[in-house]
Amino acid sequence: MSLRMTRVLAWIWTRGVLLLAAVLTLIPFAWLVASSFKSNEEFFRSTLLPVENRRIAWERLTTEPYARLFREMDFSRGLVNSLFLSSVTGIVATLCCAMGGYALAKYKFRGRGLCTALVLAAVLIPPPLIIAPTYQLLYRLDLLDSFAGLILPALAPAFGVFLFRQAIVSGVPNDLLEAARLDGAGEWRTFVMVVLPLVRPMIGTFLMVTFLGMWNNFIAPQVIIQDPARFPLSVAVAELRRGYYNDYGLQMAGTVVSIVPVMILFLVMQKDFVSGLTSGAVKA
Amino acid sequence: MKDERDRTILPEWLPPGAAIVAGLALISTSVLLAGAARAPSREKAMWTFARPHYLMYEPRVKEWNASGHTPFDLRLLSLPAMERRMMASFLGDVPCADVLEVERRGVSRTFGGPLESVGFVDLTDTLKKEGLLEEINAPSFSPWTTRGRVFGLPHDVHPVMLGYRADLVEAAGIDVSKIETWEDFARVMKPLMADKNGDGEPDRFLLNMWETNQDHLEVLLLQAGGGFFDEHERPILDNPVNVRVLATIATWLAGPARIAADAPNFTAAGNKLKADGYVVASFFPDWMGDIWKHEIPSLGGKMKLMPLPAWDKGGRRTSVWGGTMLGIPKTAVQKPGDFDKLWEFCKALYISDQFMRDLYREGGIVTPVKKYWSDPIFDEPNAYFSGQPAGRLYINQAPNVPMRNSSPYNTFAMYRVVDALVKLTEEARQAKRYDMATLEARARVFLKEAQAQVESAIQRNVFMDQAGGGS
Repeated sequence: MSLRMTRVLAWIWTRGVLLLAAVLTLIPFAWLVASSFKSNEEFFRSTLLPVENRRIAWERLTTEPYARLFREMDFSRGLVNSLFLSSVTGIVATLCCAMGGYALAKYKFRGRGLCTALVLAAVLIPPPLIIAPTYQLLYRLDLLDSFAGLILPALAPAFGVFLFRQAIVSGVPNDLLEAARLDGAGEWRTFVMVVLPLVRPMIGTFLMVTFLGMWNNFIAPQVIIQDPARFPLSVAVAELRRGYYNDYGLQMAGTVVSIVPVMILFLVMQKDFVSGLTSGAVKA
Repeated sequence: MKDERDRTILPEWLPPGAAIVAGLALISTSVLLAGAARAPSREKAMWTFARPHYLMYEPRVKEWNASGHTPFDLRLLSLPAMERRMMASFLGDVPCADVLEVERRGVSRTFGGPLESVGFVDLTDTLKKEGLLEEINAPSFSPWTTRGRVFGLPHDVHPVMLGYRADLVEAAGIDVSKIETWEDFARVMKPLMADKNGDGEPDRFLLNMWETNQDHLEVLLLQAGGGFFDEHERPILDNPVNVRVLATIATWLAGPARIAADAPNFTAAGNKLKADGYVVASFFPDWMGDIWKHEIPSLGGKMKLMPLPAWDKGGRRTSVWGGTMLGIPKTAVQKPGDFDKLWEFCKALYISDQFMRDLYREGGIVTPVKKYWSDPIFDEPNAYFSGQPAGRLYINQAPNVPMRNSSPYNTFAMYRVVDALVKLTEEARQAKRYDMATLEARARVFLKEAQAQVESAIQRNVFMDQAGGGS
C-alpha cells in the first residue's frame, strides 16, 4: 500500500472516529432540543422527532413550551437575573482576585506568608459546610433575599486569588515593574497597564470560570433568594421539576434556554479560555 | 504585521469576551434597576413545597387577608430549597417563614437534637386543650411526634391501596375479590404473566416494585407490622417481620416466582411502561391518583383500586406513604400573641370543611379530621378509577393505617434496609437459591449488619439518649 493511500486511510479513520464520537455526544443534546418542542403527550410518543408514514410529522411539534416559559413562568426575569449575577460577579471577582493575587505575589509586607497560607487553607473548606454559617451571617447583615447576598461572598474566592498569584509570580518579571515605576507610573497604572496585559489569558479563563460558576450556582441562590422574582435560571429551571408533576416539554425548553447564553459566551471566549488553561503548560 | 487588537478600541488587557460580559453586566443592571419596584411584603409568611397545595391555598389565603386578619404571604418553594432554608434557619437560629408546610422526611431531620432544640413550636398541649388529638386520625400525628411531643398539625392520612389495570385484569377473566393475601395475588393474577410474544420473558409483570425503591419497601414493611424503629425510637431493623418481608420480596424480584418489575414513579420512562401495561398493579396512596391523572391520562377509566393484599389472612389491608404537616418555627414566635395568630391561621387552613373538600377534589387526598369522613363527597364516582368511589375506599382503610416513627435516623435506617434487600436479591440471583428458608437466613444476616450500622450512628449522637432512642 502506498504512503499516500495509507495517509488517506488514516485521515478517513481519524475523521470517522471523531465524527462518531461527535454524533454520540450530540445525541442527548438533539434529544433535549427535540423534546423541548413537544407536549407531554408527544414526549411519550416519540423519542427524537415524531415520524408518521415515513416522514417527520412537524405538525406534532409545538413552540408552546417556550411560549409558556416566558408567558407563565416569567423566565425572562430569571434570564436577566442570571445575566446580572454572573456578569457582575465575573467582572468584579476577576478584578478583586487579580488585585489580591498581585499583592500576594509582588508586595512584601508583614504577614504575607500567613495571608497566603490562609488563602490556601480556605480552598480546602468544602462549600456545603458553610451554608448554615453563611445563612446566619447574611441574616445578621440583612442580606438574605438580595443579590448582594449572593455576589458579596463570591467576590474574592480563595481559588481565584491563588490562581492569579501563581500567574503573576511566573508571568510578571519584577524588572518590568521596576521599569514602569522608574518611568513614573503609579501603582494603579502599573497594575492596569503592565500586570493585567501580562496575565490576559488568565483574565479570560477566570472570568469564564466565575461566570459559569455563578450561572450554574444552584444551592446558594436556592437558600439565600426567597422571592421568586429574584430567582436565577438555575433555580427557575429546577422549580420546573415539581415533586410529583412533570411537564417534560417545559423542563426541556427551560434547560435549552438556560444553556444557550453560556454556550454562545463560551464560543466567543474559547480562545482566551483555552490559552489561559494552557498557559504555563510549556516552559518558555 | 499589526496585531489585530491594535485595530480595536479595547484596552490591551481586556479580552473581547470580557468586554461582552461587561456589556451584559451594564445591560442587565439597567433592566433590573428599571423594574426595581418591589411588591410590599405581607406581615407573615407561609412556605409550601407542593404546587397543587399552593394553588389550593392561594384563594384561601387571599380570603384570610381580606377578612382583616394578620395578612400572610404564601410562597411556593421546591422541596430541597425549603428543607435547606429550614435547616439553615434552625441551625443558625435565624427566622425563615412564620408557618412552614413540610414533608415527612424533612421534618424528621429537625428532631436530631435535644427536645428543647427542635426548631418547631411544641403543639402537644394546644392540640390536647382543643380536642384535636381525638378529632384527628391518630396515626396521622405519628410522623410529627418525637419523645411524646407533637410538633405539627397533620395534613393527611395517605392510606395505600393497590391500583391495577382493570382493563387487563377483567379481560383475562380474573376476579380480584378472591385476593386476600399477597400469596393469593401472585396466584390469581399469574395468567397475566403469559409470554404471548414468545421472547422467553413474560409480557408483563404483576407488581410495580424493585429492590432499590425505598418507598415501596417501607410501605410493605409497615403493612406487615415491621419497620425501622419501635415506639421508643429504638432501632428494630432485624426483627422477624422484616426478615420475612425481605425474603418474600426477594422471591417477587428474582427466580421462578418473580412477579415484580420496575416502572419507576415520577419518571417519563416509568410512565411509558405503565401506559404500555408492563406492570399490572402499583402501590397507590390517595395522592397518587391525581398524579397519574396528569401524567398518564391515557389510563383514565382503565384503572381500579383494591385494598392491599394482606401478609396473612385477616391481616392489615393498607399501609401509608408520605405525609405533610403545618409547623410553626420557634423563631416566628417572638412576642405574646404571635403564636395565637399563627395557630389561628393554621387551623383556618387545615381544619375546615372547605379545606376537606378542596383537598379531596383537587388532590384526591383524604382529610385526617374524622368528623368529615361521612361527607358524601367521598362517595362520588371517580372516572379515572372506572367509576369507583375512590374517597370512600381510602376512608375505609384510613383507621387501619400503621403508626410510623419520626426518628431523625429513619431515612438512614431505610437505606440500610434497602441495602440489605439489594444484597439479598443479588445473592439469590447469583446462587440461584430462592427457597424461603435460605432467603430468611441470609436476610437475617444482612439486617443484623444494617441494625449494627444504625445503632452505631445513633450512639454517636449524644442527644438521642434523652429520647431513649439509643440502643
